[in-house]
Amino acid sequence: MTLISACLGLGILGGIPLAFVHVYGARWGKLVAGIYDRVFRGFPALVLLFLFYFGLGSIKGFSISPFIAVVLALGLRSVAYQAQIYRGGLLAVGEDQMDAARSLGMTKLQAIWFVILPQALYFSLPGIANEYSIVLKDTALAFAVGVVELFTRGKFIAVHTRATLSIYLTVAAIYLFLTYIGIFGFWVVERLAYIPGLGGRAKEGER
Amino acid sequence: MSFLIEIIPRLLQGMYITLQLIVFSMPIGLVIGVAVALGRVYGGVVLSPLAWGYQLLFRGTPLLLQLFVIYYGLPHCGLILSPFASAITAFSLCSGAYHSEYLRGAILSIQGGQMEAARALGMGKIQAIRSIILPQMLRRALPGCSNEIVYLIKYSSLAYIVTLVDLTGQGRLIAYETFRFFEVFLIVGLIYLGMVTIADRFLHAVEKKVHIPGI
Repeated sequence: MTLISACLGLGILGGIPLAFVHVYGARWGKLVAGIYDRVFRGFPALVLLFLFYFGLGSIKGFSISPFIAVVLALGLRSVAYQAQIYRGGLLAVGEDQMDAARSLGMTKLQAIWFVILPQALYFSLPGIANEYSIVLKDTALAFAVGVVELFTRGKFIAVHTRATLSIYLTVAAIYLFLTYIGIFGFWVVERLAYIPGLGGRAKEGER
Repeated sequence: MSFLIEIIPRLLQGMYITLQLIVFSMPIGLVIGVAVALGRVYGGVVLSPLAWGYQLLFRGTPLLLQLFVIYYGLPHCGLILSPFASAITAFSLCSGAYHSEYLRGAILSIQGGQMEAARALGMGKIQAIRSIILPQMLRRALPGCSNEIVYLIKYSSLAYIVTLVDLTGQGRLIAYETFRFFEVFLIVGLIYLGMVTIADRFLHAVEKKVHIPGI
């Protein structure tokens, strides 16, 4: 659980700024963001994990705990994916809202903070719920570098008791439960955050 | 640089296994996806809950776990699969579940009136599905399914866990022999990136090719 919250948290913290760079950034900023995006979305999670754990660990005088390696690898990967989700959210807020905010005397930052961001986050909620279920399942990879999470614990017991199938099915049931309880949680948040009349481009015609 | 030349042939060997895995599990996954999506929408009271349960199970648990159950768990029930077969089974079943969800969305986006119109013209239900619904749903689901295929390429790296020496497995062996973890995994990652980029371009081209204006 700590793994998931750390990875998702890192993803949110990094993903939002990265999304802004994608949308509002200068040309060099977009270029850097694009490369970051390619690498972290193009490499398999497992390879990223090995790269961080064994790769960084093999540099002299630099040691990295398995837990940190998992958080970095899955978290930075989640940053790239979440940036795409927020980018979609930002784009869903009509451009004219920015113009309107600027014409009311807001600075660009103010406009982003008060007008664009709250709406963009709301639009991003379904995507984040999706990302949660992906990250949850990817944390099972942590076993490859020796972090004892749910899956590894299940494997220990399975090897110990030889009741392989039933143990794995139990672990599967726990994952299922976590996935759907989380998705339900996001659904509730979405309902709570709902503002009647809020819409992106779809509502443009109503002006 | 000489190091690179030294390890490339071995990595290519691993890549060959990876490509085999993808080539087998991608179409099987797609077929499963189509079947499950159709079952879920048109299956009636028996098939529809079954399809739903399948989706729930395979989308709700990690692929890693599915792989373990199939490779290490099933032998306890007397079903022994080779590593290659279990990897393909797991990948197809898992990606089939995700495909089916994209395809289901595509079916639902086709107006219900089309089915009725086809039936009114005297087509059987299966005929209507095959000649009216299927061509449209495949086109509409293509962007989502391309996404899933890209995921499949990356998740094929899990195959090393069932003792297959695929690209990742080969990379791991080389890394342990030479202790040059960072370089090796960086190269492995770049190869995956290359495969993903090519697949992405290709699928975009397919999307353009089969595009029918107005659908």
